[in-house]
Amino acid sequence: MVIVENGYIPADLAEALKIRGEQTVIPYAGGTDLMVDAEDHAYLFLNKVPELKRISEDETYLKIGAAATFTEILNYPGTPEILKAAIHYLAAPAIRNMATAGGNVSNASPKADSSLIFYVSDTLLKLASAKGERILPIEDFITGRGKTALQADELLVEFLMPKKGLENYYYEKVGARKALAISRVAFAGLFNMEGERITRCAAAFGSVADVVLRFRDFEAMMIGLTLPEAKAVKSEFLAKYDQAIVPIRGRVSADYRKHVCMNLLEDFLTQNGI
Amino acid sequence: MSGKITFILNNEKVESNGKPSDRLLDVLRNEFELTGVKCGCKEGECGACSVLIDGVLANSCVVALGSIHNCHVTTIEGYSKTKRFEVLSKAYANFSAVQCGFCIPGMVLASEALLSHNPHPTEAEIREGISGNLCRCTGYNAIVHAIQKAAEEGNGLW
Amino acid sequence: MDLINQSVKKWDHDPKISGAAKYVDDLRIKDMVHGKILRSTIASGTIKEIRIPTLPEGYLIVDQHDIPGKNNVHIVDDDSPCYSDGTVNFVGEAILMVVGEDMKVLDKILSEIVVVYEEHTPVLDMMKSDVIFYQYGYTKGDPDQAFQEADQILDETFTTGYQEHIYMEVQGMIGFYKDGKSTVRGSMQCPYYVHSAVKMVMGLPDQQVQIIQDEMGGAFGGKEDYPSILGAQVAVAAKKAGRPVKCVLDRREDITCTSKRHPATMHYRAAIKDKKITAIDAYAVYDCGAFTTLSKVVLQRGLIGATGVYTFDNIRVNGKGVRTNTTPNGAFRGFGGPQTFFAIEMFMNHIARAIGKDPFELKQQYLSKKGDITATNGLYHFDIPFPEMIEKLFKESGYPEKYQQYKHQTGRTRKGIGLSLTYHGCGFTGAGERDLIKGVVRLKKNYNDTVEILTAGTDMGQGLKTAFVKIVAQTLGVPMHQIIIANPDTDRVPNSGPTAASRSLMVVGKLLERAAVKLKDIWVSEEEQEVEEHYVHPEFTIPWDTENFQGDPYPDNSWSANVVEVEIDTLTGVADIVGAWGVYDVGTPVDKMIVIGQMEGGLLQAVGYGSMELMDANNKGVIRNNSLSDYIIPTAMDVPVLKTDVINNPYVVGPFGGKGAGELPAVGGAPAYVAAMESALGIDLHHTPFSQEDTLKALEAMKK
Repeated sequence: MVIVENGYIPADLAEALKIRGEQTVIPYAGGTDLMVDAEDHAYLFLNKVPELKRISEDETYLKIGAAATFTEILNYPGTPEILKAAIHYLAAPAIRNMATAGGNVSNASPKADSSLIFYVSDTLLKLASAKGERILPIEDFITGRGKTALQADELLVEFLMPKKGLENYYYEKVGARKALAISRVAFAGLFNMEGERITRCAAAFGSVADVVLRFRDFEAMMIGLTLPEAKAVKSEFLAKYDQAIVPIRGRVSADYRKHVCMNLLEDFLTQNGI
Repeated sequence: MSGKITFILNNEKVESNGKPSDRLLDVLRNEFELTGVKCGCKEGECGACSVLIDGVLANSCVVALGSIHNCHVTTIEGYSKTKRFEVLSKAYANFSAVQCGFCIPGMVLASEALLSHNPHPTEAEIREGISGNLCRCTGYNAIVHAIQKAAEEGNGLW
Repeated sequence: MDLINQSVKKWDHDPKISGAAKYVDDLRIKDMVHGKILRSTIASGTIKEIRIPTLPEGYLIVDQHDIPGKNNVHIVDDDSPCYSDGTVNFVGEAILMVVGEDMKVLDKILSEIVVVYEEHTPVLDMMKSDVIFYQYGYTKGDPDQAFQEADQILDETFTTGYQEHIYMEVQGMIGFYKDGKSTVRGSMQCPYYVHSAVKMVMGLPDQQVQIIQDEMGGAFGGKEDYPSILGAQVAVAAKKAGRPVKCVLDRREDITCTSKRHPATMHYRAAIKDKKITAIDAYAVYDCGAFTTLSKVVLQRGLIGATGVYTFDNIRVNGKGVRTNTTPNGAFRGFGGPQTFFAIEMFMNHIARAIGKDPFELKQQYLSKKGDITATNGLYHFDIPFPEMIEKLFKESGYPEKYQQYKHQTGRTRKGIGLSLTYHGCGFTGAGERDLIKGVVRLKKNYNDTVEILTAGTDMGQGLKTAFVKIVAQTLGVPMHQIIIANPDTDRVPNSGPTAASRSLMVVGKLLERAAVKLKDIWVSEEEQEVEEHYVHPEFTIPWDTENFQGDPYPDNSWSANVVEVEIDTLTGVADIVGAWGVYDVGTPVDKMIVIGQMEGGLLQAVGYGSMELMDANNKGVIRNNSLSDYIIPTAMDVPVLKTDVINNPYVVGPFGGKGAGELPAVGGAPAYVAAMESALGIDLHHTPFSQEDTLKALEAMKK
């Protein structure tokens, strides 16, 4: 552990959790969002904590350390294409070299490129404190714009991304340019079938509301249906989203966001034979 | 252990008097007088302040000093003493790629970061490699061509 | 091509690429303190009270009461105050400067100052302004009769938005005051503009003011007027502080309070008879913002170009520059031209479709050529090489085939291709060079036979130093390394005029060529010698009548032909730019590579102006897009194919055949881009920038 004035540089996760439990500190992972304001905060520097940098996998999960940078995630052989696609359109190389998935998600911005993918893929988040660990779905971790369930003594340590069924994905991000673009609307979809039956029809919308939107009860409508059956309920399905999505206005209008969301959702279904 | 932030700056071990929360950009420019590191926006959006941290391209305006303890930091002042720089500089000159010059130190380090990972990039890869470095003068073509040329001429250097 | 266009290593390449070049913020000066400006947070009002906290030792406030001379910054007119005169007229207007050593302390003081305003209702919409700064108009032929006899009249309104320069180096200046002399150095295009501004504000005679240009990180017109304001502010601060004062804006501040391209609303009418255009009537309104700065000349240039590259028999053009409570607008590459050229280029496309013609065919029918009478009853004295340029452009871009191919597309993605033809008049409008600027250059030969170039010309990246050195070295017949050129210092250089209006190479370069010829004639080795040259007006021009807008506004024009190709995604409205092509006539290119660099950079800016560079203000007059993440300029990935070429069309009175180049490519990109969007969408469009949202809106409207 190195302490310089109000900055803490822990050597490992245990040290990091100890400080987090004892001091009022802001966890610092990549810094790319925090440093825009560059206030004189007390930082807990996590960017070199080995446990938080690790990317690994078991049979069920891809496990991404919260302080792994996007470049590291992009270079990891087991990273699914849907996540790579989102990272590819995230800012530019220098930012991807520093920015982390943990920071991106903890910021709790509906525009966060990686959050969208974690939402649609049912990714779980592992939180730890000196007292123990807990695992939450991302929907429960992000509680509002800029708000998370992270406790004052806790750190986000790892993402558990279920590996199954990620191949057939749909991803589209609307930014104002080809690089260095903050998402104006983003859509991610995952569609799976077993035999004739739909087993997953997940759709997530970024940059349209205070949090990434996902409607599990609407998705449930499609589960177990055959494609012809799904076609029969398509307009009802779309109407539900049309009613439920009430976008915020920002650099682009709410109307624009809404149209893009609905266009992409419909195209997602069409692409999958619905 | 408490003390000061130390790091390797252009191959020399240094100790900073800055706070851990200080922008690396300000520390480099003000404390170490490395003014080749330019400030264009202070929000990681333009790349003028690009440096290499452990060989990886970073915007020094959004890096806190505390995060680079014991790291290797290379600025244009250090990099310009290398063989690779000579090749890049010559290629940039060949295409008159330096106009106002304000983005150029960052652009050169972005070129280095790209070539060190990908010695023979395609044009699309070059454009992506420098996509975080805004240039308002050149339209980027001359820079892209210069990097292509450097990749050819510097065969084996990267 | 000649020796002159063979490219050489740029004069300033080494110091810039190695990071050794010192821009103003890089200078470390003994005893220097910093200045930070308190700016108005409201768009219109009177200051009732300013509550200043107790200042720590060594910190001080500078405001209007500290101005030794007049509180007027001389630009064209003198209405811009140095520090607020008690009123505020736009969000971002400078009220006072806090000066001291530590930037963080300055920030803290600024945050603690309370300004009590009496707020007035601001005028934010140019069409609702009743304060007209400038108004001009001219007529050619008899437009009234043509409109009376027309069998069809087309009537359309075009609007163009702001464009912000985003020079990578923000504005910055250092003021000094010693022994009754004011010195100001920093990032500026026009040292002698700053000189006259500082003189008036400081109440000092000529020789007590010294202005030095430091390395400049881009300008594009943005450092033509604003440095006079910032220069005056630091000059006043330095006198009060008794120490050098540096003020470098931060990016958000820079975007908020420095000049931009004027937004414009342009109303065009065309009289059509027998499928021919018999008259054009144009009316343009330019939003000047709160003070006049350079608007007078910007508006003039815009109006002169209102009918584009075409010759019509009957023309009426009118326009006004109006005041609003917004940031004063000023010079931006193209200088008033990109607005009206956008309007006329789009209008020609629309007229063509209205009368069942192909847009290019219609444009070709009216394309100006040598010997034609210009809109202002001047004369096109020289060859206009459009045929050669267009042939080249079509070959490169495949425009004619693609234009046909992209009609009636269906499917998720649709392609489009658009064309624009524009010009840019070289040099100052009218008799400005002869009557106002009267440029002077000097060549100073040293004992060791090196020759120093002494002009007020500044290098902002455009390659001025390289070009000047080439011209002098080649004329003298000496190697380039024998020539010396430094950044101008008004104590040492004569006033060769501002670095603006695409005049430096053509006008100052010509003076240098003549000076070099003179020096060569009298050359005596190992002797100190000096020659001076003064501006001489070309004799062939038809004198310009500023009052009535009649005659030759420019001795010659540079010409451009541009094509942009897009592919739109109908689900999102996102337009990918497939490619942008441009072919230009800038006379003989003095250094081909530098010229191509100018053309490529300018074209990319212009495509940005047409597409992604959107800036707007809220209903309080606060600019919302004041950061680099919010004001979007193209990255290296946005226009993957960008191809420009030049033709060789020597300008008889230019140095080595060269003429104006820098601004030209900034004019035609937006109309070509929006024309490409028209081609993809199959409808007429009327504004720039044309955004993703606009595209989706158009598509949704078509569904209904």
